[in-house]
Amino acid sequence: MEYSIVQVVLVFLVTFIAAIDQFNFLESLYQPIVMGLVIGLILGDVRTGLVVGGTYQLMTIGNMPIGGAQPPNAVVGGIMACVLAISLKLDANIAVATAIPFSLLGQYGVTLIFTLMSPLMGKADQYAAEANPKGIERINYFAMALLGLVFGAVVTLFFIGGATMGQAVVDAIPTWLSDGLSAAGGMMRFVGFAILLKFMMNRDMWGFYFLGFGLALVVSTNEVLATPALLILALIGFGIAYWDFQQQTELKGAAQEFDGGEEDGI
Amino acid sequence: MASKDQKTTYENLEPAADLDQKTLNKMAWRSCFLQASFNYERMQAAGWLYSILPGLEKIHTDKDDLSTSMEHNLEFFNIHPFLVTFAMGIILSMEQKKVDIPTIRAVRVSLMGPLGGIGDALFWMTLVPITAGICSNMAIQGNAFGPILFLLIFNVVQFVLRFALMNWSYKMGSSAIDSLMGVMKPFTRAASIMGVFIVGCLTVTMGGTQIKAVIPNGTTQAYVAHTATVPNDSVKSFDVIKSNDEGVTLSGMKDSDGNYLTTTDAEGEEVSAGVTDLGNGMSEVTYMEYTETPVTIDIAKILDSICPKLIPLTIVMLLYFLFAKKNFTPMKAILLVLVLGILGAGPFGLWPSIWG
Repeated sequence: MEYSIVQVVLVFLVTFIAAIDQFNFLESLYQPIVMGLVIGLILGDVRTGLVVGGTYQLMTIGNMPIGGAQPPNAVVGGIMACVLAISLKLDANIAVATAIPFSLLGQYGVTLIFTLMSPLMGKADQYAAEANPKGIERINYFAMALLGLVFGAVVTLFFIGGATMGQAVVDAIPTWLSDGLSAAGGMMRFVGFAILLKFMMNRDMWGFYFLGFGLALVVSTNEVLATPALLILALIGFGIAYWDFQQQTELKGAAQEFDGGEEDGI
Repeated sequence: MASKDQKTTYENLEPAADLDQKTLNKMAWRSCFLQASFNYERMQAAGWLYSILPGLEKIHTDKDDLSTSMEHNLEFFNIHPFLVTFAMGIILSMEQKKVDIPTIRAVRVSLMGPLGGIGDALFWMTLVPITAGICSNMAIQGNAFGPILFLLIFNVVQFVLRFALMNWSYKMGSSAIDSLMGVMKPFTRAASIMGVFIVGCLTVTMGGTQIKAVIPNGTTQAYVAHTATVPNDSVKSFDVIKSNDEGVTLSGMKDSDGNYLTTTDAEGEEVSAGVTDLGNGMSEVTYMEYTETPVTIDIAKILDSICPKLIPLTIVMLLYFLFAKKNFTPMKAILLVLVLGILGAGPFGLWPSIWG
C-alpha cells in the first residue's frame, strides 16, 4: 500500500507529539485508544484504527508506569499496531502482537534517552549558578524535542520500512549493550540519592538513614502494602521526626525557663 | 560552585510579597512539563525547577539568591507527576518566607515519599483502568466517541487536581510556616531526619539493581530415589543392581551390609528404599541411584540472606563517600556508573552479564 508524503509527515508529527505527551503535557493523548483514532484518520480507516487502538489499550491497562517502572513503550507499540493493521490488512489481535517488538524497541529508546540525558544536568547546574532561567527553559525544551525527534524518526522509518525492519533492528542491538545501559540506568538514581545525603547528612543522622532502609525492607516484603508502602514509611518517618521536634522544642523551652529562674534569683 | 554549596541562608531575608494568582496559574500549567528533561540521575529535577521558576523569579529579586535557590532546586527530585503542584505550593511558600535552605531541602525530600503511592493508586490503578476499559470497548465497537470521552474524563480530573492542589498547598504552607518561624532550628533538624529517613526508604523501594551471577561449584553425589512397579518375583533383583569395585551400591535398594538405603529428597524429607506389596502379584519398589548433580553458588541468594538490597545500599554508600570525601562531581559519578553497568553486562560477550 502506497502512502502520500502528507501522510508520512502527519504520522511523524503525531508521533513527535505523542512521544512528548507520554511523560508531559496531557499525559493521555499518547494512549493507544487515542492514537488509534488519530492514525485511523490519517490513513483513512477510522474503524480499524478504533478497533486496534481499543484492543491495544486493553492490553496495556495492566502495564502502566506504576512506581516509575518503564513498561514496553505504548507510543511506538500503539501507533505501529494501527499502521500494521491498516497497511497490511491484519486482524486487530495479530497487529497488536506484531507490534510488540516495536514497543520493546521504544522501551530501549526511552532507557537510552534517560541515561544519556543525565550529563545534561551538569549544564543545568551551570545555568542555575548563573541565575539563568532561560537556560533552564531551553534545556527542558531541548530534551522534549530530542525525545519527540527520536521517536518520530524511528516510527516514520518503520512506517516506510514495514514490519520486517522492526525485528531486524531489535536483533541488531547486542544484548550486552542494552543490558549494560539498562543496568547503568537503574543505578543512575543512586547518584542523586548520594548527592541528597551529602547535603542533609550530619554525623548523628546516619541512624535515621539505616532506620528508613531497614523499615522499607520489612514493609516491602508485604505484597498487600506494595502501593501504599512509601506512604506508610513516610508516616513512620513523620512520627520519628515529630517526636524529635517535640523533644528539641521542649528541651529548649525547659532550658529557657531554667535561665529565667536564675535571673530571678540574681 | 563549591562555595555556593555551603550556603545555608539567603542574602535577602525579607519575606517576599505573596505570589499573585496569575503566577500560581502559570506554574500549574508549567507543572505539566515536570518530566520534560527526565533522566536517571536527577529524574524530574530540571522540570521541577522549570515549573517553579516563575515563582522563584518573583520571590528572589537578588540575583545571587535566585542562583542559590535554582541550584538547590536542581537536586534529585521525583514525585507523582499529577500531584506535583502540592509540593510546589509548599516549597514556594517556604522560599517566599526565605526559610533557610537546609529546611527547604529537607521538606522537599520528605514530600517525595508519600505522594507516589497515592498518585499511582488514584490514576494508574483506578481512573485509567476504569475509563480506558469502558472507552476501549466503545472504540472496539467502532464508536469514535470512546477516545474522546477518555480524554475528557482524564484531563478534567488531572487539571482540577493540579490547580486546586497548587492554591491549597501554597496557602496552607504560608500559614504553617508563620507559626513555625520561632522554632526553625528544631524544625530543620526534624525535617532533615525525615528527609534522610525517606532516602533510606527510596534506596529500597527504587533500588532494583541486583547481581545475578551464578558460580559453578563442582558437583555433589547423592542417592536419588526412584520407584517402579515390578512383578513380585523380580523384587530380589532390585537389592543391588549395580555396585562399584569397593562394593558401594551405585544403584539398588540395599548397601553392602544388606541394610535398606536412605536419602533425603528435594523437600528435605527422608526417603527410604523398600518394597510395598500391592497384593496383585506386583510390588512397588523404591530403589536408589547414585547421581552426580552440579552445584552452583547463587550470589543473589547469598547477598539476600545477609541483607536484601545490599547492592543498592553499597552503591549509595560508595557514591556518598566519593562525593563527601573525594570531592567527586556528579559528572564523574555518572561516568563511573555507566562504566560499571556496561562492564557488568560483559561487553562484547567477554563474560556473562552479572545484572539481575
